[in-house]
Amino acid sequence: MSPIAAWRDGLRRVANAPFVLVCVWLMTTLVGLPLALVVRSEITQHLGTSLASESAATGVNHEWMQEFADQASGLGATLRPTVLGFAAVLDNLSAFVDDTARPIAIVGAACAYILLWLFVAGGIIDRYARDRATGVNGFFAASGVFFFRFLRLGLLMLAAYGLLFGYVHAWLFDDIYPRLTREVDVERTAFLIRAGLYLAFGLVLGAGNLVFDYAKVRAVVEDRRSALGAFSSGLRFVRRNVGAAVSLYLLDLALFAVTLAVYAFVAPGTGSSARMWAGVAVGQLYILARLWVKLVFWASETALFQGRLAHAGYVAAPLPAWPDSPAAEALARQP
Amino acid sequence: MRFLGVGAALVLSLAAPSALLAQPDGRLIPPRSPRNASYSIDVRLDPASREMTGSEVVTWRNVTAKPASELRFHLYWNAWRNDQSTWQRERKLARAAPGRVNRPGDWARMDVTSVRLTGNDPADLTPQLQFIAPDDGNPDDRTVLQARLPQPVAPGGTATIAVAWTAHVPRTFARTGAIGHYFFLAQWFPKLGVLEDAGWNCHQFHANTEFFSDYGVYDVRMTVPNAWPVGATGVVRERRDNADGTTTHRYYQEDVHDFAWTTSPDSLERTARFEHPTLPPVEMRLLLRPDHADQADRHFEATRAALKYYGEWFGPYPYGHITIVDPAFQSGSSGMEYPTLFTGGSRLFAPEHSDDPEDVVVHEAGHQFFYGIVGNNEFENAWMDEGLNTFGEARVLMAWYSPMYLQQRYFGGFIPYVLRDVPIDREIYWNRFAGYRRTPKLDPQSNPSYRYSPGGNVTTYNKTALWLNTLERWLGWPAVQRTLSTYFDRWQFKHPKPDDFFAIANEAAGRDLTPFFDEVYRGSNVFDYGIQELRSDREGDGYRTVVIVRRYGEAIFPIDVRVAFTGGEPAVEHWDGRDRWRMYTYVRPHRAVSAVADPDRVLLLDVNLTNNSKTLAPLDRLGPTAANRWSFRWLIWLEDCLLSWSALV
Repeated sequence: MSPIAAWRDGLRRVANAPFVLVCVWLMTTLVGLPLALVVRSEITQHLGTSLASESAATGVNHEWMQEFADQASGLGATLRPTVLGFAAVLDNLSAFVDDTARPIAIVGAACAYILLWLFVAGGIIDRYARDRATGVNGFFAASGVFFFRFLRLGLLMLAAYGLLFGYVHAWLFDDIYPRLTREVDVERTAFLIRAGLYLAFGLVLGAGNLVFDYAKVRAVVEDRRSALGAFSSGLRFVRRNVGAAVSLYLLDLALFAVTLAVYAFVAPGTGSSARMWAGVAVGQLYILARLWVKLVFWASETALFQGRLAHAGYVAAPLPAWPDSPAAEALARQP
Repeated sequence: MRFLGVGAALVLSLAAPSALLAQPDGRLIPPRSPRNASYSIDVRLDPASREMTGSEVVTWRNVTAKPASELRFHLYWNAWRNDQSTWQRERKLARAAPGRVNRPGDWARMDVTSVRLTGNDPADLTPQLQFIAPDDGNPDDRTVLQARLPQPVAPGGTATIAVAWTAHVPRTFARTGAIGHYFFLAQWFPKLGVLEDAGWNCHQFHANTEFFSDYGVYDVRMTVPNAWPVGATGVVRERRDNADGTTTHRYYQEDVHDFAWTTSPDSLERTARFEHPTLPPVEMRLLLRPDHADQADRHFEATRAALKYYGEWFGPYPYGHITIVDPAFQSGSSGMEYPTLFTGGSRLFAPEHSDDPEDVVVHEAGHQFFYGIVGNNEFENAWMDEGLNTFGEARVLMAWYSPMYLQQRYFGGFIPYVLRDVPIDREIYWNRFAGYRRTPKLDPQSNPSYRYSPGGNVTTYNKTALWLNTLERWLGWPAVQRTLSTYFDRWQFKHPKPDDFFAIANEAAGRDLTPFFDEVYRGSNVFDYGIQELRSDREGDGYRTVVIVRRYGEAIFPIDVRVAFTGGEPAVEHWDGRDRWRMYTYVRPHRAVSAVADPDRVLLLDVNLTNNSKTLAPLDRLGPTAANRWSFRWLIWLEDCLLSWSALV
C-alpha cells in the first residue's frame, strides 16, 4: 500500500467513525471545562458588580485583563491577550517547542488528558483497524484491554520524551544555541540557527512519535502484550518501511499545517457580545479539526501497517473469537 | 497641532530665532551652555584586540562659589573590570546576570596612565591619583578617580588637564562594548564629575542609573580601520586616511555633556531631513544594519515624530543634526541616548502597527530634550529625564501612530504576532501602568535613584509618566504643556533639581501642587479609591440611594464620584479624598443604576480600576456575560494547549 493510499484510507476510516471524533471532542471538552469554570468563577468574582464588566463583555478591555491576571493566581494568571484567536495557537506551539513552563493546574490537566488518551487509544485504533463499527461496548472493551499495555508503553514514552525535553532540548537551546549565536550580530543568522535547531529537535521528536505510533498500532493489531515488544516491532516496521512511513507522516503533518493555516484566517477576534457564541463555535470547530487530524494520523498509520504487513497471510491464524485481535478477525474473513 | 496651547505658541515663537543657531560644523552661536568642561580627545581603536588608546585635554572651569582642591573623574568602564565593582554587586543583588562574560577578554578595563596639569602651572598629578568610593566605600570599585591639585582652582578659575589612558572594549555591558565587527563606545573616556557648591557630584557607576556631567565643547578624533564608518556625537569635520591603513574621523560639537561613537564596517548609511514650518531643520543620519535595510523610513519617521511634537510642545531641537544608530543584534546597545546620537532597536520581523522600532526610536529621540538639552543628574533624579521622556514618548506615539496594536513574540522571540483586537493606548500601555501596578511601593521617588531597589525603573519611568498624565487629566494639557515648556526653556543646558521642576509646575498650574508631589514624589503610598457600597431602596414614591466611596489606599487625591439613575441627571460629587470613606445619600424618584469613583479616570495611578465602580440591575448581568466570554475563549486556548502536549501520545 502506498502512503497516499494509506492516507486516503485513513481519512475514510476516520470519516466512517464520527462517534470516535465526537467522543474525543467530548473528552477534551470535559477535561478543559472544569478548569474553564474555575476561570469563569474567578472572573465573576473579580468583576463583581463593577462597570468594568461592560467593557469586558463587549470587547477587549486590556487594562482589566492585565489587572485580573495580575491579581489572579494559578489558572487566572494565564488569561492574557495571547489566548485570543490564532495567538492561542502560536502561544501553545511556541511554548511546546520552547519547552515553556505552564502553571501546575494546567500541567495536571494535561497529565489527566494524556492518561485519558492512553485509555481510549486502544479502542480508537481497534476501531480503525477493524474498519467497522464496534459499538460502545466493543470500543470500551478494547480500550480497557489495551489501557494497561499502553500505560506501560506510556512509561517508555515518558522516558523517551523526558529525555528529549529534559536533556536534548536543554542541550540544543540552552547550550548549543547560545554558543552558536554568542558572537552572531545579525538577527537573520540567529533566526536561521534557531530554526535549524527546531528542525533538528522536531526530527528527533517526530521520529520518536512515529515509532510510538506504530508501536501502538502493532500492539492493537497484533494483540501484543509487551510494551517493549510493541516498541521494538514499531521500530522495526518504521525501519523496514521508512520511505512510506515518513511520507505518510509528512502527509499527516501537512494536514495539520493546513488546519492551522485555515484557522489563522478564520480565527475569531473578540467581536461584539452578539458574536461571542459564534466565536466560541469557530474555536470548537478548530479543536474538532485538530482532533480529526490526530485521528487521521492513527487511522492512516493503521491502514499503512495493515496494508504493508498485517495482511491475512502475515500472521498466524488464531481462532477468530471476538474480542480477539483484528488480525485474527481478518483471518476469519478469509474465504 | 490640536494640542497646542498658549505655552506651545510661546515655544513656537521662540523657535524661529533658534533656527539660526545651529551651524553645519557643530557650532552653536551664541554659546548655549556654560561650556565649563570641554574635551579635546584623540583615540585609536584596534578592533582585532579590542584595545583603545586615548589622550585628552580637558579644559575645566570652576563655576561654583568655592575653590576646588581636587578633581574627580569617572572611569565608568572599570565597573566591568571584574565582578567586585559596585555595579556588579548591585546586579547580583538584583539577581541579574553579570553580563555577557564568557572569556577573560569580555571584561573591560580603563587604566589612566597619566594626569597632568598643563598651562601656566604645569604639574604631574599621576602620583597622587587614587580610587575613591564616595557612595558605598567599596574598596574594589575603581569607577571614580581622585586627583588632588597642588593648588586649588578658585571660583571662576580654569584648569587644563591632560589625561592619557588605555582601555579594553568589553563584550557589551550597559549598552557599551563590541560584538563581531560592531563597536558601540559610550562612557569611554575619563570624564570629570560635576562640581557643585556642596562638592564634587561624582558618583560611582551604579547598576540602576546613568550619568551626569557638565556641558562643554567636544572635539574628538577617532582612528579606526579604513572603510569602517563612524557615527558619533556632533558632526564630522574631517576624515583623514593614514598610512597604516586607518582613517581618523574628527567630530565636533558644542554645548553637549557627553560624547559617544560607534563604528562597524557592516553599517548602511541613510540620510533624511526633518523640516517643519516653525522649527529648525534637522539633518538625520541613520546607520542601519543590513538586515533592517527596509526599515530606514520607519526610523526616520519615528525620529521626525519626536522632533516635531517635542519641538512643538516643549521647545526646539537646537543642534541641526542627529544620528540614529540601529544596533547590531545582541550588541546590548539598543535603546540608549547620547547627545545628538541615539541607538534604536529593531527586529528582523517588525510588522506594521506594532511598536518595533517606533517605540524605542521615539523614546531615545525624545531624550535629546530631557537628558541632552536639559541636563539633570541621572544618578540622583533619573525620573527627571526618563520619566518626563516616557510621558512625552507616550504622547507622541498616540498622536502620530495611533492605532497601534499589542504585539506578542513567539518562538524564541523571533516571530511577532500583532493582536488586531487589542489596540494599545497611551494611558495604560505606553505609560507602562502594568509594571507600576505590580510594584507601586518600591521606593519613594525622592530617594536618590542610584539607591532604588532592584526593579526601581518602575519608579523612574512608569510612575513619573503616570503622575504627569494624571496631572494632565486633572489640570488640563495647557497647564502641563506650560510646565514642561517653561522647564525646558529655563533649564536647557543647565542642571535642574526636582524642586526647580515643582516650582515651575506650581507656577504654570497657578496653584500649590505640593500635596500632590508629596504623594507621588516624596511618598510611595498606593492610590486606590473604590465604591464600597451602592444601595437604592424604595422609599415612599421614590428611592433612597446610598453610596459609600472608600479610600482603600494610603495616598490621597481629590476625586469625583458620579451616581447615575434610571432617570434624571446623574449626581456628581467632588470629594477631596482625604477621609477613609464618604457616604452620599440621595432621595430621588428614580433608582440608582451605577456609582463610579473617578469616572473620568483622572487618577491614572489608581492600582485597582475594577473596584472603582458598582452597578445595579440590569448591568449586573454583564459580569457573567463577560465571564462566559473570556472563560470560553480561554477554554479554546486550554484545549489547544492540551492537544499540543497530547500530540506525542
